[in-house]
Amino acid sequence: MPSAEPAGAAAITVTGVEHAYGDVVALGPIDLTVPTGEFLVLVGASGCGKSTLLRLIAGFERPTTGTVLTDGGSPVPGRGAGLVFQQPRLFPWKTVGGNIELALRYAGQPADGVDRLLTRVGLPGVANRRTWQISGGQQQRVAIARALAADRPLLLLDEPFAALDALTRERLQEDLRTVSTTTGRTSVFVTHSVDEAVFLGSRVVVLSPRPGRIVLDLPIDLPRTDITPNDLRGLPEYAALRAEIGHAVRNEGASA
Amino acid sequence: MTTTVPAPPAAETSIGTSAVTPDALAPHGGRRRRILFRLLALVVLYALWEIAARATSNPTFIPSPGAVWHQLIQTSTTHDGIRGYSGHLLIEHLGVSLRRILIGSVIGVVGGVLLGVVMGTVSWIRVVVEPVVTFIRALPPLAYFSLFIIWFGIDETPKLWLLSIAALPPVAVATAAAVHSAPTGLVEAAQALGANRARVIRDVVLPNALPEIFTGIRIAVGVAYSSVVAAETINGVPGIGGMIRDAQRYSQTDVVVLGLFAIGLSGLLIDALLRTAENRLIPWRGHV
Repeated sequence: MPSAEPAGAAAITVTGVEHAYGDVVALGPIDLTVPTGEFLVLVGASGCGKSTLLRLIAGFERPTTGTVLTDGGSPVPGRGAGLVFQQPRLFPWKTVGGNIELALRYAGQPADGVDRLLTRVGLPGVANRRTWQISGGQQQRVAIARALAADRPLLLLDEPFAALDALTRERLQEDLRTVSTTTGRTSVFVTHSVDEAVFLGSRVVVLSPRPGRIVLDLPIDLPRTDITPNDLRGLPEYAALRAEIGHAVRNEGASA
Repeated sequence: MTTTVPAPPAAETSIGTSAVTPDALAPHGGRRRRILFRLLALVVLYALWEIAARATSNPTFIPSPGAVWHQLIQTSTTHDGIRGYSGHLLIEHLGVSLRRILIGSVIGVVGGVLLGVVMGTVSWIRVVVEPVVTFIRALPPLAYFSLFIIWFGIDETPKLWLLSIAALPPVAVATAAAVHSAPTGLVEAAQALGANRARVIRDVVLPNALPEIFTGIRIAVGVAYSSVVAAETINGVPGIGGMIRDAQRYSQTDVVVLGLFAIGLSGLLIDALLRTAENRLIPWRGHV
């Protein structure tokens, strides 16, 4: 299980962060605090710096100015956060099970957790298959299982469902919502889909076009348990949140 | 939450993703036709050879297929108290050469992979070593064989050095290029799982480079094959190169041609074995 920090303590603190690629300022300034257990969704148009912010939190980039702290320290890739990319990025020389086993080995955990993790993402019985013998949606499920293997307190997801068909995407959204609710893990999810943001998030942050700044920071006070996805999407509050976030995204896109 | 703008329509795209099997891309019935074409080509080549041999009527210039066949029998048996050619059967000449090629290739491949990994991962070593490797690759093996003769004499050592040095550059260059261009996406995926530098090299960079390394190995074995005749020009008997060299001295063109066939056919066999090993060891080729 993730480290048992008190709910509400800061899992991520972003202070005065700006990031530039050469002369191009991609992001900031950004100030953001993510409490433990929160499912934060970053929304914005393409190129607004969502993925850059996620990479800063993951430790793959260092901010040009400002500080990023995860669990009180500077982020280092593979230490405090599991990461799911837009593409599954599975290792084709390993089987499905081999991919997860590798993650377990890196985390110093026993290899017998493979079946448990595959079952958790709805893929029992595929451990011996080659990665190219399963569909794109299944590959992304394996990538999620692999990211969960280390049982880190933080889960970062960079548009993981963007390349999937609508039906598979919807099913994976439901699975991810269930997994995040049951584990209570702090998560940061990047998407450009407003519907996905409202469905998954307990908080949604909308970024402006480049350089990305926070233009809307909205808690999502929708029930996360004891409700079916269809019922959730049918709530009037759901539609209102979607409208408000969509309005912010469109307005910022138009003013760019 | 006060705005009443209608909810935007779902803008998700429907990019279907499905598993593709290699068989789906393979043409049907092509294998039988390929074999037929190859057999036909062999028959045509045989006919051309026979016609050329009869037209020239000079077995020293172009020996007939029958003469070469006769030499195959002669060199593979003991006849009139003479064992094979120069006291060794054809299979023994070939076996000794293959042993040299195997040892030389293994040394060259192991050295090439190690050097390639270092070149691919440490940029300043790449800058320093790459021109040296390219320089050696450009040299004809016979050119540095003289140096090895001076250094190591005329026994096995200079031959193995020659084959090893000839086999090393293709593997080193292929490995270095593949290691250097390891996909950032997969490297980051491993780092995100907690892999340190050594684990990234072992678990991502090397497996990812394996298809290119294998291509390098096939080229290296080919280079070792083409260098074996040069390696066996001095004190090369037993050895297929030595046999060819001796036959050339006595203008035994049929034996020379037989030796060339022995090298070429065994080369094809080794390459087929390497291809089979490649398909077994690298099933993900084409799926990255």
